[in-house]
Amino acid sequence: MAENQTNDGTVAMTSWQLNGQEVENPTGMTIMEAAKEHGIEIPCFCYHPGLSIAGNCRICMVESNRSRKPVISCSEKIADGLEIETESELAVSSRNSVMEFQLINHPLDCPVCDKAGECTLQDHSYEHGPDRSRFVEDKNIRHTKELGPNISIWGNRCIVCTRCIRFCDEISGTSELCIVERGDRSVVDVFPEIPIDNQLAGNTVDICPVGALISHDFKYEARVWNMDRKDSVCGGCSRGCNVEVETLDGFVKRLMPRENLEVNDWWMCDEGRYGWRHLYADDRLSQATRDGTALADDSATAALEQLLSESGPVAFLIDPFLTCEEMHLVQGLAASRPGSSVGGWLPEDGIAANFPSGFKISAAKYPNRAGAEHIFGDQVFGNDATELQKALVSSDFNTVVAFCGGHLSSGPGESWAKALSSTPTSIIFSVKSGPWLEGASLVLPATAPIEKDGTWINEDGRLQRTRSCWNPGTEPFSVELVRLQTLQNALGIRGRSLSAAGIFRELAANNDSFAGHNHSDLGSPGLLLSERPAGIAMDGGSE
Amino acid sequence: MANHSDASEEKLERKTATTEPREKATYAVPVAKGLINTLKHILRNEPNTIHYPDEKRTPYPGYRGEHRLKRDELGREKCVACFMCSTACPAHCIEIVAEEAPWDDREKRPRLFNIDMMRCIYCGMCEEACPCDAIELTPVFNIPARTRAEKIYDKDKLLSL
Repeated sequence: MAENQTNDGTVAMTSWQLNGQEVENPTGMTIMEAAKEHGIEIPCFCYHPGLSIAGNCRICMVESNRSRKPVISCSEKIADGLEIETESELAVSSRNSVMEFQLINHPLDCPVCDKAGECTLQDHSYEHGPDRSRFVEDKNIRHTKELGPNISIWGNRCIVCTRCIRFCDEISGTSELCIVERGDRSVVDVFPEIPIDNQLAGNTVDICPVGALISHDFKYEARVWNMDRKDSVCGGCSRGCNVEVETLDGFVKRLMPRENLEVNDWWMCDEGRYGWRHLYADDRLSQATRDGTALADDSATAALEQLLSESGPVAFLIDPFLTCEEMHLVQGLAASRPGSSVGGWLPEDGIAANFPSGFKISAAKYPNRAGAEHIFGDQVFGNDATELQKALVSSDFNTVVAFCGGHLSSGPGESWAKALSSTPTSIIFSVKSGPWLEGASLVLPATAPIEKDGTWINEDGRLQRTRSCWNPGTEPFSVELVRLQTLQNALGIRGRSLSAAGIFRELAANNDSFAGHNHSDLGSPGLLLSERPAGIAMDGGSE
Repeated sequence: MANHSDASEEKLERKTATTEPREKATYAVPVAKGLINTLKHILRNEPNTIHYPDEKRTPYPGYRGEHRLKRDELGREKCVACFMCSTACPAHCIEIVAEEAPWDDREKRPRLFNIDMMRCIYCGMCEEACPCDAIELTPVFNIPARTRAEKIYDKDKLLSL
């Protein structure tokens, strides 16, 4: 908003008239954005806050005193003395006519279209369109084809708003898409033999206002109105993109990005978007085992209690997939065992990516390294981890409790697997099976990142709330939260089990980095934690 | 105030005084007529009930019994798995899983189509909602089952009815 700054640093305001009322907005705003601030939503197809303005759909036309014809509110800016009518006869009939034109060639296949229920064309047609068509000619047939490995186009449904094309030009910077043909035959296509397979391609499906672009991943999977939605955070990398996890009967069906201008704008990467399939992969653990024999859920908790109550000092191997709340519980356990030690393993780095829009994919493929460093100290993945590994290999500890989370990660490496197997009693929370489970005394199935309830700190130091998408029956918290608290209850260091918010309150009371915050403060953009003040000691056993 | 209450009391008295005998008079005639009618039917000796398992009544048009799925002229199911019936169903008794249709003229078809007849309230909303005229309620009402599971009809069963 640099253009509306005056010399003394205040924001210059423009006063104009909206539906006969005198209103004020910062200079330089478009009519559509300004009207939205006053609670008047002007319909749009081609306008998207994250993209440049194309002004080609014409549904946002309003009546202006500065023009004989209606103007498009997405690109016209407000000005002093401007009088805009959004509900006048001219404005209403313009919208009505534009809707009739949009529907001329649009097929009436809503019952089999995956976009139905969240389709802008349906919504605007219902609200602003005519209830019948005067079009008696044959409808155009346009191509239906695969544009890339994950995306297909149903050309008949396309209204040529060019949102997807602008996305590929401006946000991902890959420019795979273009419009072919002319007039009412124009349709989105790719260049020959150059499919759309950039790392952000999935977003084009989200921003398509109609069902023209369809993701293969979600095709025919569910009707959108039947799904439940949870506001979650993607655990695929340290950016922590805000996502909405959509489930049908408890099973994840798709991930959609959630607007957070501080982190991911409106977008997310395909790796995170399609990564949920790993939740249901064959190597996912669902059964607790003790020395190779399957255990029921209750007896697994009992076995955990028994193993830990008999043990002396315990080594805790954490991972950067644990939430801050779970880490706080681990810290409490470590503090109750004098001589215990905490270290962490890190998954291998992946490939980072930067996009022209400023969207980033981090090389650190885990969500909560910063959280672990706030709770256990800066060296938890550094010196502490190296020493812990040495101690484990030389069997200094009798018991180790390890967390091997992350459904997208390849798990702790060989050296850690060796360290774990050389400890006599190893208790391992693991999301999937792998070589690190060899010789484990007790294996407990763990929750994957998007199944966790709690908070993570991303690489910018932003504390974000993630909610569990997983609702098996009545279990309100994620598994580790429950198990660790039950364990603490049994060991006598906790009176009663709390929700994630309750644990966070405890954490905030004990740790200066989180002091004064609670879950309800986090809101949707999250909270930027100030740098951890130097010299804060851990209030617990590992030192 | 006083005047008003006096007046209403007077009205009430007058009302009770006049209605009582008239009511007695009006009831007597209809009751007598009704009894005569009853007597006629007794004497006529024609039962209105039927001996059900041996005799069966033809259902009225529009009678809502168990569902069936229709086939098109090529013998394929008409259903395109649009979920409109399950969305309209107030009893949530229709379960559908869609898959890609192997035919050119449509995109989807149901891989799974289950109706829980024990949960169904036979309201016919599914039939109303169907854009392809693929589901309909037949007049059949008397198919017994030994278990509840048998009353969950799958796609093949619904197509064969």
